[in-house]
Amino acid sequence: MMMNDQDSLVIAGVKLQSRMLLGTGRFPSPHVLQQALTASGAEVVTFAVRRVNLEEVEDDSVLQHLSGRHYTFLPNTSGANNAEEAVRIAKLARAAGLGSWIKVEISANARTLLPDPIETLRATEQLVKEGFDVLPYTSDDPILCKRLEEAGAVAVMPGGSPIGSGLGIMNPYNLGLIIEEANVPIIVDAGIGSAADAAQAMELGASAVLLNSPVAKAKDPVAMALAMKLAIEAGRLSYLAGRIPKKRYASASSAPEDSLFASPAKGAL
Amino acid sequence: MADSTSKKLDFQLYVITGTNYHPGRSMIDVIEQALIGGADIVQLRDKTASKQDIRENAHKLRQLTRRYGVPLIINDHIDIALEAEADGVHLGQDDLSLAEARRLLGPDRIIGISTHSIEQGLAAQAGGADYIGVGPVYPTGTKPGRAAVTTSYVQEAAEQIRIPFVAIGGITLGNVDTVIAAGASRVCAVSEIVGADDPAAVCRAFKARLHAAAPQRSEVQADDFAGTGVIVNGVAQRTTARTVWELICQHRLEDRRVVVELDGEIVVREEWSCTPIHEGAAVELVHFVGGG
Repeated sequence: MMMNDQDSLVIAGVKLQSRMLLGTGRFPSPHVLQQALTASGAEVVTFAVRRVNLEEVEDDSVLQHLSGRHYTFLPNTSGANNAEEAVRIAKLARAAGLGSWIKVEISANARTLLPDPIETLRATEQLVKEGFDVLPYTSDDPILCKRLEEAGAVAVMPGGSPIGSGLGIMNPYNLGLIIEEANVPIIVDAGIGSAADAAQAMELGASAVLLNSPVAKAKDPVAMALAMKLAIEAGRLSYLAGRIPKKRYASASSAPEDSLFASPAKGAL
Repeated sequence: MADSTSKKLDFQLYVITGTNYHPGRSMIDVIEQALIGGADIVQLRDKTASKQDIRENAHKLRQLTRRYGVPLIINDHIDIALEAEADGVHLGQDDLSLAEARRLLGPDRIIGISTHSIEQGLAAQAGGADYIGVGPVYPTGTKPGRAAVTTSYVQEAAEQIRIPFVAIGGITLGNVDTVIAAGASRVCAVSEIVGADDPAAVCRAFKARLHAAAPQRSEVQADDFAGTGVIVNGVAQRTTARTVWELICQHRLEDRRVVVELDGEIVVREEWSCTPIHEGAAVELVHFVGGG
């Protein structure tokens, strides 16, 4: 079997056994978040940087729910409208002392939340210069993904479809090209709706999948976290095992010879 | 360019350097302590050092006072004031004329004049001074041999001078209430502050006395007591916090993993307690929330 310990994923020198990166937003409660994290087996967690609500006495920070476990932290730059704002958020995140990974996320359109490709590339260039380990969330454009890799991204994260849409992988052809061309891990980030989508991403050869909404907003987030984990493992295994080529017509599973009802061979006459 | 705070002159506690009062301690450290304690204008005065030393000190003090957002005034040396981008100069009665100083410094920089009688005070006001020193109120070691003008000149100044005036000369925590009672709303001290073991504590005590007296004077000043006007997470507020650490404590965030940005620059936790909060500061207090 090819799925073994050697099939670990390495990003910026960090060896990961799990190929699921899990977002921490929109869970029904901190308790559900913790259970889902456990069920998912995720080793990388994402979160956002926001102003402290000074009116609120309660600590609504997400980190308090993650203490006592070992995670690699991947803060995002959501809320940034351009490269400068993303760099500013990245620096704030790094100042918290949780490592130097940063997910560049610069949305240019409020309705689609699709990433601004130009600002994303600029931010990636600047943050690499500043010594960050940069994982840009980007559109699924093969050339852009290559440019991000060349800019020094430690992994590139094309979206399957818009954030939180659950539309799955809208352009498997592009995604396949991106993966074929890549020399860094390609992580499908955004748009996953169900376990089938996650498995599809992995079968296309993605190195990992980053999810949040399909787990957090599922009827049973903990069960869905487990479903995603199994799907990602299944998809990865399927990819490594090597699928059969697609054919237009059937190809029988058993040889037709010696069928009980086959016509007798000519030589018997 | 001098800082934009130049002409506002809303100071209350004026501190002047006096290295002979703190042997073994650096002038910058002592003045920083004074600033932490609430001194809100600084004058570099050194009658004995070489011009090169004064120039170097002027540059250091400029950096320090910028961090704290307070004006820097240079005694006598207009050229150094210009070169070090100080906010202005302070001149004595025997120094360069006010008109000549104004010509050299331009309209935007502060010019302060030492005066020892109401006649001199009115003349400086008419001549375009931005503030005057009124003193020495008491006999002082920094101006040996000069007769004290006593609080009677302070009283005259309070009645007749319309530009800011600062009472100076031998003022201590022991006599400052008398000076304030005579009509001073701004005081200057040298040895009492820079010669103290804890200049910050002395400055805080001075400010408390000045504050305690001020409400009777005007509503505008009363508003100042409520603290420093700052913008925290986009919301304007007044705070009595003097440092980032105090601001964090006021919001009860000291035990939380919060990142602080002050005027666009991150302030690391180790520096919270020594980073001052100045008027108009833009503070961002951020943390991590759920996100994908």
